Amino acid sequence: MEPKLFHIFRNTPLGRETLLQSVYFCKTMGAELEIYIPEYTKFLMYFENDVVQIDLDASYLTAPETARDHAAALAEAGKTRYGFLAPKHFTASTLPDIPTHFDFMCCPRSISDLSSKMGLGYIGPRVRRIVQSAQFPVLITSAAFKPWQSIAVFFGGSANAVKSLKLGLRLSRITGMPLRMYTQMENYSKADYQKVIADNGLEDAVANETAEWRFFETSDFGVNLYEVAHDALVILGAFGHGVIRDVLFGSKMEKIQSIMPNNLLIVGPKYAAIH
Amino acid sequence: MKLSNMWRKPSRWAVFRIDDRPLLMVIGLIVGVCSGLAALALNRSLEAMFEWLHHYRHYWWAFILPGAGAALSSLFLDKVVKEGAGHGVPEVIYSVSRYGGLLRFRSAWSRLVSACLTIGSGGSAGPEAPVVMSGSAIGSNIARFFSLNDRQRVTIVGCGAAGAISSIFNAPIAGMVFTMEVVLGEWTARNIVPIAIASVAGTEVSRFLQGNQIAFSHPGFHIDLADIAACVGLAVVTAAASVLLTRALRSMHHVSARVPAAPWVRAMIGGCAVGLIGFALPVVMGEGYHSIREMITNTFEGGVVIAAAAVLAKVLATSLTLGWGGSGGIFAPCLVVGSLAGLAYHRFIALLMPSVDWVPEGCFALLGMAGLVSGILQAPLTGIFLIVEITGGYGVILPLILVSAISTTLCHYVEPASFYLKDLMDRGHLLRPGTDARVLSDLSVMELLETDCITVSPNMSLRDFIEVIKRSHRNHFPVEAEDAGEFVGMIQLHDIRPYLFDPVMYDAVILEQIMDPRPDVIHPNEDLLEVLQRMDAKRLFSMPVVADRRFLGMISKATLLDQYRKELRVQTVISG
Amino acid sequence: MMKLELDVVARSLDVSSSTVQRWIRQGRIPIRRDGEICRFDQTAMDRWAQSHRLRFSPPEAPAVDQGVDAAPETLAAAMAAGGVFYGCEAETATDALAQAVDRMTFLPEARRRTLCEKLLERETLASTGVGKGVAIPHPRQPLAGCPESPVIATCFLKKPVDFKAVDDRPVFVMFILLSPTVKQHLHLLSRLSYCLRDAAFIDFLKTGPDLPSLLEKVSGFETRLESADSR
Repeated sequence: MEPKLFHIFRNTPLGRETLLQSVYFCKTMGAELEIYIPEYTKFLMYFENDVVQIDLDASYLTAPETARDHAAALAEAGKTRYGFLAPKHFTASTLPDIPTHFDFMCCPRSISDLSSKMGLGYIGPRVRRIVQSAQFPVLITSAAFKPWQSIAVFFGGSANAVKSLKLGLRLSRITGMPLRMYTQMENYSKADYQKVIADNGLEDAVANETAEWRFFETSDFGVNLYEVAHDALVILGAFGHGVIRDVLFGSKMEKIQSIMPNNLLIVGPKYAAIH
Repeated sequence: MKLSNMWRKPSRWAVFRIDDRPLLMVIGLIVGVCSGLAALALNRSLEAMFEWLHHYRHYWWAFILPGAGAALSSLFLDKVVKEGAGHGVPEVIYSVSRYGGLLRFRSAWSRLVSACLTIGSGGSAGPEAPVVMSGSAIGSNIARFFSLNDRQRVTIVGCGAAGAISSIFNAPIAGMVFTMEVVLGEWTARNIVPIAIASVAGTEVSRFLQGNQIAFSHPGFHIDLADIAACVGLAVVTAAASVLLTRALRSMHHVSARVPAAPWVRAMIGGCAVGLIGFALPVVMGEGYHSIREMITNTFEGGVVIAAAAVLAKVLATSLTLGWGGSGGIFAPCLVVGSLAGLAYHRFIALLMPSVDWVPEGCFALLGMAGLVSGILQAPLTGIFLIVEITGGYGVILPLILVSAISTTLCHYVEPASFYLKDLMDRGHLLRPGTDARVLSDLSVMELLETDCITVSPNMSLRDFIEVIKRSHRNHFPVEAEDAGEFVGMIQLHDIRPYLFDPVMYDAVILEQIMDPRPDVIHPNEDLLEVLQRMDAKRLFSMPVVADRRFLGMISKATLLDQYRKELRVQTVISG
Repeated sequence: MMKLELDVVARSLDVSSSTVQRWIRQGRIPIRRDGEICRFDQTAMDRWAQSHRLRFSPPEAPAVDQGVDAAPETLAAAMAAGGVFYGCEAETATDALAQAVDRMTFLPEARRRTLCEKLLERETLASTGVGKGVAIPHPRQPLAGCPESPVIATCFLKKPVDFKAVDDRPVFVMFILLSPTVKQHLHLLSRLSYCLRDAAFIDFLKTGPDLPSLLEKVSGFETRLESADSR
């Protein structure tokens, strides 16, 4: 079966940009687009050990009579396979349950707050909660539609970084786009990172399938990020630490999302890598 | 696994790996205390609110108070915490049966606030369903924090519900029984022990902080044979009252849904109407425990007509409060309606047969409560044990059992689904453990997929196809277009059997000509229940699963039976 | 503590791996999972399987596969084992069978007598003359324990005899087929009849060829058949 990407459609110009991004992703990946046109401003997602209520911004309910046609037109123009998702189960009469067995999900930076808040450095609390609980990676789109031509993986050596590298390799194999790895050197040496790669049996893949592995040695991570191509899809692992892990992601992740306007594909701690 | 995270995953500790029962007991204890405290908090704030608003009751505009309270509670639920109205117990049952008891954290307190606003301002509703929701959500979130699995989480959710009920009524057995009978729908030793511990903890919290008082203590009753006989009549009356209350609530819901106004305006209208009724019959206001106490101790004023009118007024007020968008439970109104009904019945038979030496009317009020609780919830044990515990009246247990049993049976006859389960049953969402619906809802199409079919091309000649048949173990051959791999049809061996033995056909026929081009197909996301219904309707034994015009595999009844039995055994047998 | 991959556990339980995943999530099975790796305690797992009357056989002790036999005997090998006899002089089918069995010296004396009886018994049931002058006599059930591997004794008759064959043509060659199991019997029978469908082969048989050239011919058929099967 093709991988599936879940998209909540917002029938506004902003929502159009987001859907275009999803359509592009599906077309490049050969994935199927599953569009949900919300009828209520809230829905529930039951994950393995968590239930998340998503309270959508009221703009998601804009002009429901045209929403389906708009979404279908965009998906058809992009020549991607698509379907509409109709919730089957309801926890309460106005509270549908949305299934969570997708392979990817597309979110703008915020789905529950006013879209005027959206900007670099801001990821809404519900989107964070989805990333924390989801078994699938979350595609956080740039504000305007921006096709990506290469893949950039940030590799920090953690278990989640390995998962995101595996995901990057998978994407690169499917799309044929070049994959670049970036590592900010901190307390470890190059050999340590290479050992992590070897321990996970990724030596050959990294040697043969990545175009480049850049190590940033200067200390300012923010400055170094200029090196990453503007049209790259950035893949990175999100893993929060300690008590505030439900509120903040790791510091690297926060830095990247506040500096880079690129499309981000975020791998949460519950993501199970598919080979 | 990092050591720092280990404490959040106690189910992985070596001690609990083989047997998790001690773990569930410890967590059940914690949950019982927490939900007991939540219940107590609601109880205390209701009292405080009642005291505070008491001074305004005699002004002419006091009828607005319940309206304002209901409107505020509706606004709070809708805008602040973004939850639906309603009491929440069906939500708990739904989550327990389908998602292993996962509940949102906000549910742990949202219903407490909204119920406090509705009831405290005088709306006719009870605080029990909200505390059940809170207790369950507290349990669910504590279980989530400790990364428990679904089965353990369901038990802990039950602990929360039991702790809350035990605490608010000071009734540990009723808490346990309610949880088993209504929330979980399953009696297993594995569940009972942690839930019993949570009940004890919840009760102990309540006793420690507000003393061990029996809510409706009463003088002892001496029951004669005549009284027992009269109980049968009482059961009929309570059953009728139960049906009336259930129907009134539901029809009121439909009426209010047709009013073109914001939810909070509707709640306001309903609340004000309750306020107006309250002018005439103050007994309908609030949770009404005060008036129950009067009735049980035989000090309720008024004659048979007043009592009967009060029954109808309370039913009306409750349906106005809950049906129009107020927040609260059905338990306390049940008790009030029940005791009023018992009282009215007693006064009626006393009028009819003044020569008989009837037991004091308080006893009938008490029996009426049991009858109504049993009838509405269709949970006879909950009714019996709750009344025994909140009245301290073990002496009346015999008529109590009689009334509960008859009332439940009669109600079941008229309304097959209880008040809590009605919506779930209508939507087909009631999945009690170990039932057919539950097993089928757990199994998915993808789990049953048989992928050992050999696919063939539509251009293949029958002669080549016979070679394929030789190699295959199956009788089904999906046909896929050669270039795109799209599913174009199905060949069933039994459909083409006549051609197989006719050598003339071997080269004359290609598969496209003999396949079934439009077979019934299944989508992998379909529910197994629907799949089976379709198979039964068309008398099929197997169907192809197709997604995006691609063949994925077959579903057959033979494999289904195999998996179904495994699933049933895994779900029902209690293992050590 | 045992460690196994998810799909191995699924195979050991004979369910799909998504079922195992769900059981773990629902806490129905004493296993915990990190990604694709399942960890479980062997004794707990055995007790669980027993109390639910399910089979759990991890790959350390794989269930013995009875479905696949050793590579099936080829026709040529069976013919080589059976040998070829020429110039059998007989007037009736019974006589021909008795003479042919007499020549099968690789069987002990007592065996040959029972074999002959069995063959005749089978003939009374229905003739084994398959047409075109060929008969394939065989016992109704495999002979117990003997021979150990299938044999085909080829016997050319000097003068064709009436076998009550399906096409009433007199039989000039008999293939006496003995095999230890029914499965092998069917396998060889189907291969033999494949060869006999070829008219050229029948003509070749009429020349009364010697063993090596017969085997060569048969091997040729078999390789063609095998390549068709594996296609």
